[in-house]
Amino acid sequence: MSRIEQFQYDNRIVRAFGTASFIWGLVGMLVGLIIAFQLIYPPLNFSQYGVPFLTFGRLRPLHTNAVIFAFVGNGMFTGIYYSLQRLLKARMFSDTLSWIHFWSWQVVILCAAVTLPMGLTNSSEYAELSWPIDILITLVWVVFGVNMFGTILKRREDHLYVAIWFYIATWVTVAILHIVRSFEIPYSLFGSYSVFAGIQDGLVQWWYGHNAVAFFLTTPYLGLMYYFLPKAANRPVYSYKLSIIHFWALIFIYIWAGPHHLLYTSMPDWVQSLGTVFSIMLIAPSWGGMLNGLLTLRGAWDRVRQDPVLKFLVVAVTAYGMATFEGPMLSIKSVNAISHFTDWTIAHVHVGALGWNGFLTFGMLYWLWPRIYRTNLYSTNLANIHFWVGTLGIIFYAVPMYWAGWTQYFMWREFTPEGTLAWGNFLDTVKQIVPMYIIRGAGGLMYFAGAAIGVYNLYKTGAQGSFLANEAAEAPARESYVPKAVAGEYWHKWIEGRPLQMLLFSTILIAIGGIVQIVPMVFIESQVPKISTVKPYTPLELTGRDLYIREGCVGCHSQMIRPFRAETERYGEYSKSGEYVYDRPFLFGSKRTGPDLMREGKKYPDSWHYNHMMDPTTMSPGSLMPAYPYLLDYDLDLSLLPSKIAALRTLGTPYPRNFEKEAIGKAKEQALVIAKSLNEQGIKDSGLENKEIVAIIAYLQRLGTDIKIQPVETSK
Amino acid sequence: MKKKKYLLLFFWLVASVSIWAQSATTPAGPDPQVGQLPQILTWVLICAAAALFFVAMLYMIKVNQFLYKRAIQLEARLNNVNLPEDADAPVIDPAGDDFWTRMRKKYWEDAVPIDREADIILHHDYDGIRELDNRLPPWWVNMFILTIVYGLGYMIYYHWGGSGLSQTQEYEQEVAVAKKEIALALAGKANAVDESNVVALTESGLLGEGELIYKGNCVACHGQKGEGGVGPNFTDEYWIHGGGIKNVFKTIKYGVPEKGMISWQAQLKPSDMQKVGSYILTLGGTNPPNPKAPQGVIWTETVAPQDSLGKDALPSPTK
Repeated sequence: MSRIEQFQYDNRIVRAFGTASFIWGLVGMLVGLIIAFQLIYPPLNFSQYGVPFLTFGRLRPLHTNAVIFAFVGNGMFTGIYYSLQRLLKARMFSDTLSWIHFWSWQVVILCAAVTLPMGLTNSSEYAELSWPIDILITLVWVVFGVNMFGTILKRREDHLYVAIWFYIATWVTVAILHIVRSFEIPYSLFGSYSVFAGIQDGLVQWWYGHNAVAFFLTTPYLGLMYYFLPKAANRPVYSYKLSIIHFWALIFIYIWAGPHHLLYTSMPDWVQSLGTVFSIMLIAPSWGGMLNGLLTLRGAWDRVRQDPVLKFLVVAVTAYGMATFEGPMLSIKSVNAISHFTDWTIAHVHVGALGWNGFLTFGMLYWLWPRIYRTNLYSTNLANIHFWVGTLGIIFYAVPMYWAGWTQYFMWREFTPEGTLAWGNFLDTVKQIVPMYIIRGAGGLMYFAGAAIGVYNLYKTGAQGSFLANEAAEAPARESYVPKAVAGEYWHKWIEGRPLQMLLFSTILIAIGGIVQIVPMVFIESQVPKISTVKPYTPLELTGRDLYIREGCVGCHSQMIRPFRAETERYGEYSKSGEYVYDRPFLFGSKRTGPDLMREGKKYPDSWHYNHMMDPTTMSPGSLMPAYPYLLDYDLDLSLLPSKIAALRTLGTPYPRNFEKEAIGKAKEQALVIAKSLNEQGIKDSGLENKEIVAIIAYLQRLGTDIKIQPVETSK
Repeated sequence: MKKKKYLLLFFWLVASVSIWAQSATTPAGPDPQVGQLPQILTWVLICAAAALFFVAMLYMIKVNQFLYKRAIQLEARLNNVNLPEDADAPVIDPAGDDFWTRMRKKYWEDAVPIDREADIILHHDYDGIRELDNRLPPWWVNMFILTIVYGLGYMIYYHWGGSGLSQTQEYEQEVAVAKKEIALALAGKANAVDESNVVALTESGLLGEGELIYKGNCVACHGQKGEGGVGPNFTDEYWIHGGGIKNVFKTIKYGVPEKGMISWQAQLKPSDMQKVGSYILTLGGTNPPNPKAPQGVIWTETVAPQDSLGKDALPSPTK
């Protein structure tokens, strides 16, 4: 036997990430509560007083980013830094890197918390942050990777435990996803345009977005589950073979499923079908994790009654199982027709986020905190209260949202026998579900209250204990860096001793799906049939589009009419992929809290939009949309237009040569025309041509009108 | 023994899939007689593809195992270690199990009981975490295979030669069906009113309904009392697109998008447009507060509204 080495585990970094996780968790949930109540009581947007920072459109990405990257992100790092050291019998590779990782990640979060309310966003869901922050994230991820692989390489264990396979796959996949999604050309310090356009941008986005769920919210947390659940239950993991099969199958198949976010859109059918079938095939690999979790509890179920940690973990794993069954069901096109754009999706993601990620984080923290503070949990009663309030909160959140989703869908598609929409006014379908929004708000409030109790409990636990910053441990030194294969061992042991090969194989596996889907869509022209009348945006429309992005309009308004009679009757001709070729970024949206705007152009007069922006309820009584009076006050800033035009031309938008020199002049011309039409339609204010409102009207009036130029049809 | 198990499982899968397939495909084709042969071919193809895929999976696993054993042997030779006999003995003694227990263990659930866990616990531990070597839950494996077969079937049905409709075809079918249904529903009904035959209603109940429609949809632009706002005033005698029920109906139905009036025919039934149009006409001469300045020209009926001169004889505004 080799000599025994003494070393210490770093608990300080674990405490730091854990503290960050629950503080950001509370912040993220609070923002979620605010936007939930904005949908019930629009004055909570405060925009009617000219405050632009708190509207639903700007806060929603803050909520998702805070919960995903701040709460779950820090939770993930808490668990990884705790378990990795112990599973490898080694202190983290470098304390300096650990702390660089910690602080730079908090800086990323702070940047997000500042820039998103300012409207600095590129509007791709979960990738909203501006390009300088994207670069910072990349650097943080590299630091994390070096620190993790450094620790793996100096480990005192021959083989890597299943949790670490998941950490490795997480690291490499998130890196690739983030980098490819961030391919963009900057036009200013914070602004940039995606190198992908329209339907291609949509595909890349949902390859990214879906797999952010997969590899940021799922795989690292499965890794955590594989460590903390057997630890807390004090039971052996049910099946080693199941770990192997479900791990490889999961990471390979997950990547393909992104297009299920684009079913019935103008994405080519073959891409949609791949999204559907790979989502269905994902059920078993996802459930492998749930089974290995729940079956590990065999013989420990009696303790689930008493131990709040196990309670949290059981509900987390169960919620994971429900969400990963529901997800594939939602990927079946006929089911997706219901869920897409409705609150069903919101219910689905919150079962995952509140149940799986939230409860696993809490369970982990309740287990870990007393250990690093060398004490008992301050109050088991409070933990139990947290558990029950939180669980009820999830139910009160999810059930009304399912109900709202179904209600609204069936109202959208109901026809009278005479062939008109039974609920032709979109607003009627919104008013119908406001009561469900109220119950949802109550559910969210309960969950938040539970979390606050949890934080108090953890704080008191820390206060009554004494913190163990460096935990002494010992293990035999490892003899060779390449572990020998041992006869009689399962064949998979081979790769478990070879982290770099594991990294390589994971990379190959996760690359396949994305390549098969994205490469043909981007490089084969026939995949996106051109429409000759579709032209690039005018400079003013482009400016308006960027304002639309700034205000986060895409959070509530889709621009994608699906080929259903109920949608073509309501919104007009269904969307064609060729209509989006100049859209950078794409703005399909994924939720219709308000109506689709794909063919909004020329539907209403300019003055209607003017009045509607000033106060939506004047034009649509009962509207839940925030008022945007400040668009009428803010001066139109055209100074970035030349660099925007230049950036877009670099990417292939056919603006003529030297157009950037004329762009500002052209924009002013068009602004004058719109201002004049507003004046003619009874808006008395002067100088409207210098206000942001004209740009946004220009953009809205252009939407979806290009294909009408062809003398094909209309309702004559 | 092992092979037989896989074969059985496979045929069971194929059988269950084809049953499911028959019920799933019937409504797709408009005429069941026509689509018969391609559908059978499709399912033959699906089965063949599934079989191929299944064999390929088995093959992959075998190759993997073989390569690993080779690696062990090589390393053993390099390190001069003698390899023990391949210890692939089954952990559980199947003796004494009746037929149903054997079936259950084979296809459904085959966990080693907790009290015999020691037999299958792996020798390694990671920070105190041990692992059992339980079989993959058979039902889970079956489910996985089923979903793969479903996926293949789906791709074949919709893309690789099957008769599945594209989403555009689905849409066209939906619209065609709706057209027929609407025609049926409209046949001989009051809703068949259009701009050529519409008459102004006078019955107070119907006008009351019209008022409700007005309050729900029109007040935003035309004012609570028809005094006008973004849109024109209804209470004066000036009309931009012509007065009289036929013109008003037409303006409501098709809109005047370039001037900001939207088309309502997707939102309001013809009878509703008639009701609200009739209500609007009753607003003439009511003198509400804050009236909007007149727009358009003074309208006088040059042709009696009841006149049946045909579609093209719509009344026109006087100059």
